[in-house]
Amino acid sequence: MSDAHDHGLPPKSSVSRWFLTTNHKDIGVLYLITALFFLVFGGLLALLFRLELITPGADLLGSLGYNQAVSTHGLLMVFWFISPFAFGFANYVVPLQIGADDLAFPRLNALSYWLYLFSGVLMGVSFFQGTTFAGGWTMYAPLNTPAYIPGEGLGATSVVLALIMFTAAVTLGSVNFLTTMYRMRAEGLRMRDIPIFSLSINLTVWMMLFAFAALLAALMILASDHILGTTYFQFANDGSTLATDADNPGASLLWAHLFWFFGHPEVYIVFFPALGVMAECFQTFTGRRLVGRKWFIISMVLVAIQSFVVWMHHMFLTGINLPIKTIFMATTIGISLPFDLMVFSLIYTMAKGRVRFTTPFLFSLGALILFIVGGITGVFLGAIVLDYQFRGTYWVVAHFHYVMVSGATALFGGLYYWYPKITGKMYDETLGKIHFAVYFVGFNLLYFPMFVAWETPRRVFEYSRDLQIWHSMATVGGFILGASMLIMFYNLFVSLWRGEDAGDNPWDYATTAEWAVSSPPPLENFPGVPTYADGSLSFMDDAEVARRTSGSGGSGVAADGGTAADGGTASVTTAATATPASPAHETAGEEHASHASFWPFLVSLGGFVAFLGLSGVRTGSVVYVSMAAVGGLATFGALFGMTREPFHAPEMPIAERWPFDSVEKMKLGMWTFLASDIVLFGAFIGSYAFVRVAYGWSEWHHDLIPAEHVTMPGLINTYLLLTSSFLVVLAMVAAERESKKGTTAALAGTFALGVGFLVNKGLEWQHLFHIHTEMFPNGWNLSTNIASSTFYLTTGLHGAHVTIGLVICAYMTYRAWNGAYQGDDRAIEYFGLYWHFVDIVWLFLFPLFYIL
Amino acid sequence: MDWKGYTVIYVVLFVFATAQAVVEFAGLVDSAYWVAFGVIMVLSVVKAVGVAAYYQHLRWEPRSVTYLVLGGTVAALALTAAAAYSIV
Repeated sequence: MSDAHDHGLPPKSSVSRWFLTTNHKDIGVLYLITALFFLVFGGLLALLFRLELITPGADLLGSLGYNQAVSTHGLLMVFWFISPFAFGFANYVVPLQIGADDLAFPRLNALSYWLYLFSGVLMGVSFFQGTTFAGGWTMYAPLNTPAYIPGEGLGATSVVLALIMFTAAVTLGSVNFLTTMYRMRAEGLRMRDIPIFSLSINLTVWMMLFAFAALLAALMILASDHILGTTYFQFANDGSTLATDADNPGASLLWAHLFWFFGHPEVYIVFFPALGVMAECFQTFTGRRLVGRKWFIISMVLVAIQSFVVWMHHMFLTGINLPIKTIFMATTIGISLPFDLMVFSLIYTMAKGRVRFTTPFLFSLGALILFIVGGITGVFLGAIVLDYQFRGTYWVVAHFHYVMVSGATALFGGLYYWYPKITGKMYDETLGKIHFAVYFVGFNLLYFPMFVAWETPRRVFEYSRDLQIWHSMATVGGFILGASMLIMFYNLFVSLWRGEDAGDNPWDYATTAEWAVSSPPPLENFPGVPTYADGSLSFMDDAEVARRTSGSGGSGVAADGGTAADGGTASVTTAATATPASPAHETAGEEHASHASFWPFLVSLGGFVAFLGLSGVRTGSVVYVSMAAVGGLATFGALFGMTREPFHAPEMPIAERWPFDSVEKMKLGMWTFLASDIVLFGAFIGSYAFVRVAYGWSEWHHDLIPAEHVTMPGLINTYLLLTSSFLVVLAMVAAERESKKGTTAALAGTFALGVGFLVNKGLEWQHLFHIHTEMFPNGWNLSTNIASSTFYLTTGLHGAHVTIGLVICAYMTYRAWNGAYQGDDRAIEYFGLYWHFVDIVWLFLFPLFYIL
Repeated sequence: MDWKGYTVIYVVLFVFATAQAVVEFAGLVDSAYWVAFGVIMVLSVVKAVGVAAYYQHLRWEPRSVTYLVLGGTVAALALTAAAAYSIV
């Protein structure tokens, strides 16, 4: 493809392309390759500790080495392999399946990828900072805090920061996918009709949006405990007596609640894309539409919702009360029912179709079998009395590997399934089948003996000699499983050169839209604007689009792809919305979408340096402090560069946009982000409420808060923020009236009031830091007690939001001064959505932290 | 909405914020804590809804945007309420 047609993007053979690209297919490939690297990374760690477990005792890795290998294996596989691997497919396939030419925010998509990559690099660097994190992938408190981590614990801090970076990538990705799927579907493609893989991704990103926000809160609090010295997750430990939780009784349980509120949806976040792949492969290789497709979808929706009300089944052995355990046992058993329906749907699809045992199908079928075993053994753990026995044993290890790795199994099937589309070449089918056979044997030899040896304590290298045979079998199975992956790597690598040309659609009965275009697809996917208005995929040419967007209507088509919507229905009941102001599709050659930007890479590189620096600032080391400062500045500079860069990502001129028809994509993106931010702040406020209830709600104020902490500074700040919000809406009014002076004055006023808010807060904090009373002779600072920690961190997070808002406000004031926004107040409105949200949060922080 | 409407909302928000502080200054937090708690939190909720409905224009957006916001709010409340209940 020529440079001219690639809009300045270098060819794929050029290294620079992969640093510049914002195209969803390129990003998808980058995700797939990076995720496979982390699979090898995590897999090698697993092989190391499986070798350790051939005999009881830590005679190979040493005890700390073993703990590090186990912990980071879990973290790498759950966070840096499975989900990003699935999102490699999501990036590549979802826009193609729904008829979009890219994601809604291509640069944000590139930023997600680079943040993900650098978060993984930071995770890797942590191994070289003494020791990396060694407290298990669940990172339970207080073992996740510096006082309980051997040595300086800088590697552990890096892991926490790497996870924060990863979570930022996930949140940006969630906002991007949701906006894309609600604003960029081809005409006539109702939500219920989008292909089942895309639907699974839609539900996955909904879960990610809310679940990862809770994880982000947990990680930010933990990072604060590590770096700033707050005491959320710490027990008192003076070094001479045993640790006690008397002054912070909620510490350990708080982490468990926050982590598992994220952690259980995470199971489905990992598994749903795999389920989508399985459903696609079952349909294609049985030649049969999914049986009970509607009920399959309803089941997935139910699971996505229910996933947020089962988390306490991970906490049956903690001190939570019996009534709540009983409720969560019921919800847990309840969530297995929709899964039963989905499993039966897949089985019936197979029974009613004509099965072709290709490699993707074999992996999908294998995944289904493994998932059934994993699901049934999980129901045991959902029962309180059985959980008392099984908790902390290899039953749990075997169960969740049967679930999670069955998900990975389906995703390997997905790799074979879409490999011809991505590369244009066919893999070697025989080698693929051999891979499956070796993989399936290795998998079961690795994990099934763990059920038999279930009495082995989890995460412990000592076990009864009677169980050694089972562990030896598991180790052999682990190596067979690892070796099977070499077959896949060889097959896929060699097939890039020696594979036969795959053609547009190598699979009979594959009906989704990605198979209607060439392999690999062109940069902008389709030869026109896709539409399903007549029940099957066709493309509108520029003339047709121009006619439709000018309001003359019509439904002519220029080229016929002949592919039906996955929902299989030809009836169209919802009207697609046209964007009259939008130009015709860029195939007109008049307006090209941008596909290249170097800034996402630079922002992420800066973030990596900053976070690496932050991991060691508590040591006072000049190197670490310098890295934090330089990295922070570089990130800010790169973000500014990204803001100034002309980058064009036009909305589709005609698209299906239910239920957000009149919500422009920037606005929808902002609202989606704010929904996630609500959960972030909600988790912070919830944490405050939880530790206060644990301590004693009424005693809290009397025991832990100085009399000098008064209402007035909070009230003044409430007035300042309310007034600043008022000025933002006045700026909108002025911009509508095209009053440059009014717009500039209102925005400048907003800025001034925001600065006033921060100054007032700074003065208040200074005062509290330096009080000298009988109860608090050394001031009331971040580390004084759990109340001071919650106060400074929660209001500090809010202050950070204000600061970010002020930076944006200053930039907008400058632009308004130069005549921007006149007659078009949208940018001010979108900033206002953020600023008013910050205001709303304060409306709750004020009473909770200053009055009650 | 024009500037007059926005101004009315601002005045209401200002008065409600002051009312919250007055509840404390009047000694209600010390004499009847949970009554004061209820009054103050209800005032906060009313203010938040006012800002969201009028300043963030949720009132004029499709209901789906409100449901999106409610989704996040319900998730946060579920976490807070269930976690707190688990230890009482």
